[in-house]
Amino acid sequence: MAKYGFLIDASRCIDCRACLVACSAENNVPMTHTRIWIKETGVTGEFPDLKRYTAPYHCMHCVDPSCVSACTVGALQMNKDGIITYDKDRCIGCRYCMYACPFEVPHFEWDKQLALINKCDLCVNRLEEGQAEPACAATCPTDAIQFGKRDDMLALAHERIKNEPNRYINHVFGEHENGGTSTFYISPVPFEELGFPTTKLTESPAEFNRMTTEKGTPIIAGSVLTGMTGIYLALEHLEKKNPVHHIEELEHSESTHEKE
Amino acid sequence: MTTTVSRREFLKLGGAFTAALAVGQMLPPMVAEAARQSGYLNAAGDGFVPSMCEMCVWRCGLIAKVKNGRVVKLDGNPEHPHSKGNLCPRGQSGLMNTYDPDRVLTPLIRVGKRGEGLFRKATWDEALDLVSKKMLDIKQKYGPEAMVFSSTHNISQPLFENLLYAFGSPNYGTQRSLCFNAMIVSNIMTYGMEEPERSYDKVKYIILTGRNLMEAISTSETHDLSFAIDRGVKVVYLDPRFTKTAAKATEWLPIKPGTDLAFHLALLHVIISENLYNQDFVNQYTVGFDKLASEVQKYPPEWASTITGIPADTITRIAREFAAAGKYALAHNGWRTSNFVNSFATERAIAALNAIVGNWGTTMFPSSGEESGALGAPPQPPFPRVSALRLDGVPWKYPFVPLKLGIFQELRDAIVKGDPYTPHGWFISRQNPILSLPDRNKTLEAFGKMDFIVTVDIFLNDTAWFSDVVLPEASYLERYDPLLPVGDKAFLRQPVIEPQGDAKSALWIYKNLGERLGLGDYFQYKDEEDYLKQQLAPLGVSLDEVKAKGYVQLPGEGNEGSAEYKWNTASTKIELYSDSLEKAGFAGCANWEEPPQPAPGQFYLLTGKVAQQTQFATQNNQLLHKYSDEPRLWMNAKVAAQQGLKDGDWVEVTSEVGKVHIRLLATEAIRPDCVYLVPGYGHLSKGLTTAFGVGASDSVLHVSYTDPVSGSQALTQTFVSVSKIADAPQEKTRKPLYLGE
Repeated sequence: MAKYGFLIDASRCIDCRACLVACSAENNVPMTHTRIWIKETGVTGEFPDLKRYTAPYHCMHCVDPSCVSACTVGALQMNKDGIITYDKDRCIGCRYCMYACPFEVPHFEWDKQLALINKCDLCVNRLEEGQAEPACAATCPTDAIQFGKRDDMLALAHERIKNEPNRYINHVFGEHENGGTSTFYISPVPFEELGFPTTKLTESPAEFNRMTTEKGTPIIAGSVLTGMTGIYLALEHLEKKNPVHHIEELEHSESTHEKE
Repeated sequence: MTTTVSRREFLKLGGAFTAALAVGQMLPPMVAEAARQSGYLNAAGDGFVPSMCEMCVWRCGLIAKVKNGRVVKLDGNPEHPHSKGNLCPRGQSGLMNTYDPDRVLTPLIRVGKRGEGLFRKATWDEALDLVSKKMLDIKQKYGPEAMVFSSTHNISQPLFENLLYAFGSPNYGTQRSLCFNAMIVSNIMTYGMEEPERSYDKVKYIILTGRNLMEAISTSETHDLSFAIDRGVKVVYLDPRFTKTAAKATEWLPIKPGTDLAFHLALLHVIISENLYNQDFVNQYTVGFDKLASEVQKYPPEWASTITGIPADTITRIAREFAAAGKYALAHNGWRTSNFVNSFATERAIAALNAIVGNWGTTMFPSSGEESGALGAPPQPPFPRVSALRLDGVPWKYPFVPLKLGIFQELRDAIVKGDPYTPHGWFISRQNPILSLPDRNKTLEAFGKMDFIVTVDIFLNDTAWFSDVVLPEASYLERYDPLLPVGDKAFLRQPVIEPQGDAKSALWIYKNLGERLGLGDYFQYKDEEDYLKQQLAPLGVSLDEVKAKGYVQLPGEGNEGSAEYKWNTASTKIELYSDSLEKAGFAGCANWEEPPQPAPGQFYLLTGKVAQQTQFATQNNQLLHKYSDEPRLWMNAKVAAQQGLKDGDWVEVTSEVGKVHIRLLATEAIRPDCVYLVPGYGHLSKGLTTAFGVGASDSVLHVSYTDPVSGSQALTQTFVSVSKIADAPQEKTRKPLYLGE
């Protein structure tokens, strides 16, 4: 059972992206990758009745992780503290985990033959060195990201909703999704509006995992892999005909946070 | 032997130090011996070193994580009141500032035309000999006043000031008139101090006038505001844009630019006419209340409503709510408020609003300042007497502007006009006036008039690009600076890693240049550590102890929770009316000044910070670039549609002084009569390989307007027209086309 957990409060997030930068620095994440994204509603409503909510988004650290089930080589594993770790030396770049994860966390580089993923491991090395919190939670200037024992975080999530029922919708995202996770979100707006993946989620990971690992994964992931690589190569071919355009695409790809 | 190198070759040379630093790879040099000696590292070289951030001027305490003798991460120092254990995105990216592949790591001497970017490497001896010779030549031919010195607020500023005052020049440029002159001068006239401190501990009601604290982050204050919101404090936020602060505020009022003054005058009107103010406090601690009362009599909410666009009953309600919160209310003085020439009057109205509800000692406190009598300093002789007038007109044209603030845009204009005299040299440290001053064409013209320009910086910012000599400073993770008092402690910035290449600290650069100029008596310290030891001498604390802790406790200082009810004004009270302002021909109380408005078809050009960048200095930081939005021109979505413009279109933005090309962001989050451009982009220096070609500079468009009382540049008083570019070849490279030349 997961020992650690996050509570992320969308009502507190100011979209400053300190967590994204901190994560990149702590984990030496390549400039073309990110382990955290900002999910957002965008600016909604009509001037001047406007709203905007954001929340940092990363690996949920499921209690019964689909990615670990899907990984045929043991590159993704759950450690003794419930952290889903990734070993790039074992990874063969099959992309099964990408299909298996209902939270759309693993991202691959499509232009590499041996593509690797880069995902949140709760700054496991940092914790082992005795620092109290992962880099994102440690630096958050508004405590939108809080870190602690999983059960405490879940209890705190419910307590906040109970204390301020008008401030939050009555839903702790991550409590039941995919059979439960170690990252809990509370929000003033439904999670679909924040852009969270909600359609693929069931409360039974076992069913989802069986589907992905036994039936779907090899076929679907295989075709997705072939298809996406094909699309990538086609795009690359097109871009090569127009190299200036290619430069722009590269520059854009550096920004992982696309607006509106 | 000297060789001319092209920019490409130069960059190769510069890259030699960082060849191993492919993008995204950080392989810092070994940790500084100083940090090792501090005893914070074990034998294996693992541990944590406390120091201070310099990614903005808030100066959070940081803790650098060192592993195998290398710095791998920065975290906020929980013991520092400005960080409270947190760092903002800029603070988190600090490593990338130090390891920027574009760092200048050796002195450079220009060999091509100015602005061509052709330099050759030089030794420190050669570069400093050249700089001192040029400076002494100018002094001999034209007098010391012919050298202009400018630098942006930093901890080694006292030594920079030693250099300029010992040299004998009155011409001192800071960035403050582009930032907060109106706020500072207003506070001095009202409270007798530059900026009272705010406390959010007990606050119950906050009015933020354009103070976008969720994006213009001051870590601890952003944290405090966020927690105040969390416990249900009401926040009223005035801004023509729906910023990230607006998204968190209880009430967002998209006020018409330049009219914040009318809003605050009407608040004063309601609170005074309905007798809702704190009469005891007003009687005991303020002067000029009657004059203020009779002035604001003219400004009922109905009047303000037609000017601001905010309904009269909303203004009345907010005035009553603010007064009901009484001493628990806080009207934030902002830094620039609405950026119009009436900003000084706006600041005076805000100061009066705080005073009449009696929030002194509850949400507002005396500032502790950044100086402490408890610290020592090296001995030095008095400065030579300066008889020349200051080029920026302070104080002979602008009597209320403090000398250390000055008026930077007026200084630049005087250089262009050669009036009252012509300067010939410019010494610039850690500052980028080419990008920060309004009207970039004019700034380039001023640069063109100079015989000699020298810039101290860590990389080739736009100003260094146009300089004759570039002196490479060590980054904030590589150097010592003087101790900085904050509250009851003085904090230390210390080198966590050795300086890369030949980079040197400001303390070293000013001393070695000073000695060559014959001004060695003003720099009586052997090295950086000796300077710090002289600072610590009266306290009897060893430098090693301070290096290990990161700070030293100051005796009998700190004013947390205490408030002295005496102010450093002429009357020793809070001056709602100022006799000296009145005598100088200005309004004694805050009064209405009509701001200019855009012509039909034009827009107000708004500026304002984003959380991921600091002014004009950080756009080249790859970690920040990675997580920054593409800089675009915001326009109200409905207005854009009416003009036939789509989100993402390339547009030409034209003001009376310049034009830029940029992509459009069509959004609901801005008033229909405004457009907004994020500042700090549109760099001219090709030495900034990450930032060059990204976005457009709002300084190209800004028209220079100086507030006659405070000297503030009215940054929002620029009106622009926007038109679609039919054929947009720029799109290929995402580069804005600079049309100002």
